[in-house]
Amino acid sequence: MTIGEGQSASLEVEGVWKVFGQRPDRALAMADDGRSRAEIQEVTGQTIGVRDVSFEAHKGETFVVMGLSGSGKSTLVRCVARLTDVTRGVVRLDGRDLTAMDEADLRQIRRDKMSMVFQHFGLFPHRRVIDNVGYGLEVQGLRRDERHERAERVLDLVGLEGWGDHYPQQLSGGMQQRVGLARALVVEPAVLFFDEPFSALDPLIRREMQEELLRLQASMHRTIVFVTHDFDEAIKLGDRIAIMKDGEFDQVGTAEDLITRPATDYVREFTKAVSRAKVLTASSVMDDDAVVPASRSVSRGTSVEAIIALLLADPEPIAVVGEDGERVGSVDRSAVIELI
Amino acid sequence: MDLAGGTGSLLRRWWHWLLLLAGVATLQWLFRTVDSFPAGLDTFFSDPIDRFARWSQANRRTHWLFTTIFNPFSDAVRVGLNSVESALLWVPWFVLPIAVFLLVARSRNRLQAVVASLAMAYPGVVGLWEVTVETLALMTIAVLFSVLLGVPLGVACALHQRVNQAMRPVLDAMQTVPAPVYFVPMALFFGIGAVPATMATVIYALPPVVRLTTLGIMEVPSQAVEASTVFGASRRQTLRKVQLPMAMPTIMAGVTQTIMMALGIVVLATLLGAGGLGQEVMATLTQRRTGRGIATGLTVVAIAVVLDRVGRAIAGMDRSTAPGRMVTGMAIGGVLSLVLVGRVVGWIDFPEMWDVKAFDPIDDLMDWIRDNLRWFTRGMNDAVIIWFYLPVRDFLTETLAWPVLVFGTAWTGWRVRNWHLAVFIAGALTFIGLIGMWDLSIDTLTQVVAAVILSVVIAIPVGIWAGQSRRVEAALGPLLDAFQTIPSLVYIIPAVTLFTVGVVPGIIASVIYALPPGVRITALGISQVPEESLEASEMFGASPRQTLIRVRLPLAAATIMVGINQVIMMVLAMVIISGLVGGGGLGFETVSAVKNSDVGIGFEVGAAIVAMAMVLDRLTQAGADRFRPPAAT
Repeated sequence: MTIGEGQSASLEVEGVWKVFGQRPDRALAMADDGRSRAEIQEVTGQTIGVRDVSFEAHKGETFVVMGLSGSGKSTLVRCVARLTDVTRGVVRLDGRDLTAMDEADLRQIRRDKMSMVFQHFGLFPHRRVIDNVGYGLEVQGLRRDERHERAERVLDLVGLEGWGDHYPQQLSGGMQQRVGLARALVVEPAVLFFDEPFSALDPLIRREMQEELLRLQASMHRTIVFVTHDFDEAIKLGDRIAIMKDGEFDQVGTAEDLITRPATDYVREFTKAVSRAKVLTASSVMDDDAVVPASRSVSRGTSVEAIIALLLADPEPIAVVGEDGERVGSVDRSAVIELI
Repeated sequence: MDLAGGTGSLLRRWWHWLLLLAGVATLQWLFRTVDSFPAGLDTFFSDPIDRFARWSQANRRTHWLFTTIFNPFSDAVRVGLNSVESALLWVPWFVLPIAVFLLVARSRNRLQAVVASLAMAYPGVVGLWEVTVETLALMTIAVLFSVLLGVPLGVACALHQRVNQAMRPVLDAMQTVPAPVYFVPMALFFGIGAVPATMATVIYALPPVVRLTTLGIMEVPSQAVEASTVFGASRRQTLRKVQLPMAMPTIMAGVTQTIMMALGIVVLATLLGAGGLGQEVMATLTQRRTGRGIATGLTVVAIAVVLDRVGRAIAGMDRSTAPGRMVTGMAIGGVLSLVLVGRVVGWIDFPEMWDVKAFDPIDDLMDWIRDNLRWFTRGMNDAVIIWFYLPVRDFLTETLAWPVLVFGTAWTGWRVRNWHLAVFIAGALTFIGLIGMWDLSIDTLTQVVAAVILSVVIAIPVGIWAGQSRRVEAALGPLLDAFQTIPSLVYIIPAVTLFTVGVVPGIIASVIYALPPGVRITALGISQVPEESLEASEMFGASPRQTLIRVRLPLAAATIMVGINQVIMMVLAMVIISGLVGGGGLGFETVSAVKNSDVGIGFEVGAAIVAMAMVLDRLTQAGADRFRPPAAT
């Protein structure tokens, strides 16, 4: 399959604001004075969708933006993809400023570098699956047989071989989103945006699609900005996660960071229900000083879940080693029990 | 693959085209000497109907059918009309505008109240109040009948599947048939005058209230009905206490539509001898006074504005926002005392301010356009007639043998839907030919096609434009509203002034009449395309043009086809009406049949129009379905 390791790009978002309404300048002025979102809405009638958000998604990284409805996460991804114009701030793709681009340049960079998977799939009901998948290639002006050939290869990749001649609405929800995924992958984008792509699916199908995405990403290493309202999904897929609330980022970090060091009560609320054993690793439960003698060792990144299994088999403490094999600490039963 | 297999698959792929070709060639050759459709049943319908008409004329005063049913009914309607009329004239002139202001201001904003109040005063200001009152009386009685008839019918349809199945095609037909067709049977039973005009209006305006009552009742959640049943309510109790109240908003929407339909037809009803605004418009039409015609037409718009605002004010009345009982009582008391004061002082009739003469400068403008743009109007007139109307009509009636046309249309019906539609079309067209209406129908069809092409060429681009820009749509809104409310007859006046009598003014008026729904429905289809589909297209780097052509238009196509269907039906109605100004074809026959009480011919023409309307309607609806993406499975 051609979608292997390839181009990928870094995405920098710097101080992005989005204000909805006729007079964004007034809202921005008030916001600069430190007024709250509700206050600004009350006085000016303008809604602040995104408030001074900055982050960087590195090459090949999956950056997840997690927030509840109304938090501004969908608006943010639309700003970054420039489906809406940002009110203030800069978005750079490999150093090129997307916010300052004119329509033609933007169109070109979209054809070359980006694509997106939508919450309600955004498929075209008047086109067969194969022509949905080939849409990006079609607007680039590729010939029909080449389009179809590439589209069919990607359909195979997402497990939809032989469905090309159907219409999307004749497929199940999970299959429809596979079409959406295939359509996004076929153009070989450097950056992929996912706007709550799996939230309309059943839990089982959702898990299946998450696995699918992990499998694909393991081989293609694209830069992904993934929006979700599901914290479990965020920690499953995200290299780093931003928790968004009222248009702002509360905290950005790895799943482990969020769970062990939640910056706000809001973040703590989310991390409460998470199965810690699955997310946390040896490095966050180990005791740095106690270099107790141990016959077994695990690496820093081993999940607590795996360590529990080892400790159940044999209650003796386990050594934790760093990348170079040097011993950095140890884990015993009490540390694990305390965590859980 | 070998050659034989290749042609085999080609045959399989193209056989329906080959069938068309072969059918056309064979029929054309077989019937090359036959001049026109053999009107085998020419007198089959008209004779008995004429006989019945003569009989009814002779027995109107003696036979029980008239003395015990139709005549007393007519008398009752006439009494109703007269009392509404005199009641409206009894009220001092300044009371209604004030009452309208108070009513609208109660739940809507002041500006709207002022607009509604000015609209209420408008007919009096231009000196048309007395004529307007005649029209209002006709409307009031007609709407009353429609509601009294329509709501129970709608309930019956909702509760009994079988009634619904029986009523649906009837309602479909009622909505596709151009109004003048109703006039002939009305004249047969009720003679000429305000009563048949009222009854024709009732029939024309009935379908929406029936349909929306049915819809409203069917939409009541089954849980509500079940809950009512569980508490031991009888079916009648459930209907009265649960279903009807819950369906009320929908039923009221139906009543509003019925009122607007009635308003649309009352002017035309003058053909049946009703007085009122219609007569006034007819007079301006014969004198070609565009300005006065517009002045009169605006009266209808003013009534529509008043009804709309008052209707919304009543519908929007909410206990929480409405002023208290005190204020309401004071308002009612105030209005009543105004009535009293007006009556006592004798300040009753509208003071003479202006009259329709104030609009005469428009005539000068029209004359100026006529004189100075003659190169254009004449050129356009000739172009339409010489390059389109005559060649197409003659090709269809003379060059093409009639079976070819029947076969070709049926073939189209088969391709867009199925052989049921093909059989229906063949039957309907044959019927038209057999009753001797072939040439007239082709004449009308040619005009319809010309007007539809012009309308579509204008409406679709404008609709696409409006559908993509909220600002354009908002700017066009009031213009389209006005176009839709001004009585269709009014359009004919400037058209006749500019293009003289003939086919072209009818076509022009039809285009103007049919534009609003064409534009609106196209805009609707374009704007209804899901945002996500558009974002997806944009995200893949499609240019606005690519998005329009590859996503927007295909997704809007089915809706746009529905718009074209509307355009065709409206054009047909208007082409019929333009028989008044020498449009020829079925329209002229209808108008003269109504005028001369030529009932037999009137029925035949009406039947031909119905057949043609149904063929056009079903063909285009089936065509619209072809543009729908396949359904989910």
